Amino acid sequence: MDPQMMVELGALTLVGAAALIAGVAEDLESDVGSQSNPNSQVQLAPQMGYLHRLYNKAISGEPASYPFYAAIGASTALAVLSITGNSSLIGVFFALVAGAFVTSLIHGVYATTSYMGRLASQSRFGQPIYMDVLRTHTPVLMAHGFVANFSVLLLTWVIIAQHFSPFPFVVLAFIWGIALGGVGSAVGDVHLGTDRYYQDRPYGSGVNAAHSGSVVRKAESGLRNSIDCAWFCSKFGGPLTGLGFGLVVYLHFWKEVVVTGWWSVLAGVIIVVIFIIMNTYLERYSRQRYGTYKAEAEE
Amino acid sequence: MAEGERSPRQLLTIGVVGGLIGIYLANYLNSTTGTAWFSFFAGLGAVLAVFWGADAVRRVASYGLGTGVPSIGLLSLGAGQVAVLLGLAVAMNYSIHWAAPIIALILAAIIGLVSGVMARRVIKMNIAIMERSMMEIAMAASLIMLGFSTTIAGGFGFDLIMKYVVASGFIIAVFIVGGMAMLHPFNACLGPDERQKRTLNLALSTGFIAMLVAGIAAGAINGIQAAVPTMIIAIFGWIIYYLRFFADTKQDAAAVLSTGLLPKEEEVA
Repeated sequence: MDPQMMVELGALTLVGAAALIAGVAEDLESDVGSQSNPNSQVQLAPQMGYLHRLYNKAISGEPASYPFYAAIGASTALAVLSITGNSSLIGVFFALVAGAFVTSLIHGVYATTSYMGRLASQSRFGQPIYMDVLRTHTPVLMAHGFVANFSVLLLTWVIIAQHFSPFPFVVLAFIWGIALGGVGSAVGDVHLGTDRYYQDRPYGSGVNAAHSGSVVRKAESGLRNSIDCAWFCSKFGGPLTGLGFGLVVYLHFWKEVVVTGWWSVLAGVIIVVIFIIMNTYLERYSRQRYGTYKAEAEE
Repeated sequence: MAEGERSPRQLLTIGVVGGLIGIYLANYLNSTTGTAWFSFFAGLGAVLAVFWGADAVRRVASYGLGTGVPSIGLLSLGAGQVAVLLGLAVAMNYSIHWAAPIIALILAAIIGLVSGVMARRVIKMNIAIMERSMMEIAMAASLIMLGFSTTIAGGFGFDLIMKYVVASGFIIAVFIVGGMAMLHPFNACLGPDERQKRTLNLALSTGFIAMLVAGIAAGAINGIQAAVPTMIIAIFGWIIYYLRFFADTKQDAAAVLSTGLLPKEEEVA
């Protein structure tokens, strides 16, 4: 094996690992904020008379908010590098940390505005704003966001340094932000929306329009808050999102490194076909095993 | 329009005049003095454009767009971005460098109008103010894009913008950060008890955050001269308007509690 390819495979492993961590952190972050899919239910709850102590963070959807963070982080990292120069590896590392840090501050500010803004706009339903919810949840969001953004910046930097991509740093970080947000929304939300907020409904029944906004507000002990959701999702939904995003990134660059030129496009098509076959088999297996989706019992 | 609100015409004037003045001041003061100390004027102009654009988003999205709020914001930002690059190119082609922002504004209006007509007549979204709102949002977006790009590059020449904003990749940061500044205020304040003053105070606060990011990016291009004044003004502006938004929130919310259990049903009026 030629040395260049060894280095590229090493970089590939680093990129895949960073993507995995980014996916886990991203999903848990969005769960604390009940962003994306569950958001509409949490938003609707007070209007249907279900007051709650959940955090409601709508900084657009995840596929729009993650490129937003990534672009801020990448711009900041570039500004820091313009002062320190990108010759030393540790300098680059600290620039990426600075980028992720500034991003997490801006993320926190945006999160507080959407929590306060949305609840204040529902005052006629009597939904109070709990400052302790704001104080306890926002740092958790910021911390998870920091990890996710740092990982995105790191993987982007490795891709740029290894000349895997022709795009400028900020643009590439933006694109990976969209991918991360998209995977987080597509994979992660499945394990939050109905699993956590509608635990009293039969699995797979979907949410009847009459139950819109009827989210679970009481916890095993005391009242449910959104950090409970992150705890719940850290067992399955979060790691699965990490696996999803890690696979997207890893397989994409694996085919670029191992198979070159136009053959890599063919390899990509083969990978997609394999996934389609696997998914079809999985769905068929689970339908046979657990039966068709049950209609919800009349109350 | 409720009592004490700013009218669409008033906001349009603030946005267009403020935005253009800011961009022109930054460009000509920088080029006459040969420095980048005055880049922050363009950022301030863009913040005023955010102020106007957020209200335009608010007016059209209050028709019940819901999840469409970010979509309409990003669509218009795209229109604004095309208009800016085309406007700069047209101005360079005909050697009327000074007219670039105005050409970009007119092009944005045309693109916005076309997408508004498409949305209402072809896709048949039944929103009466669609054309006008899309036009306004796209125009505001073009001023936001050009304003923050001028802050970063130090001027609005085609070569400057191409070299320092497009080729360096900062254009995408301007796109998403400017877009978020414009669409987030209404998205965050969505609900039946939304109030213009609160939403627009939030718009100024997010606008100053966008200006802060533009200031950071400007530091990578023009160094301390561009970055320090822009960032200091942005941070002060953000603090002022965030506190105002917080005060408005306390005034509008049903209750602001330090902690507590859920209110009982009879306590909710």
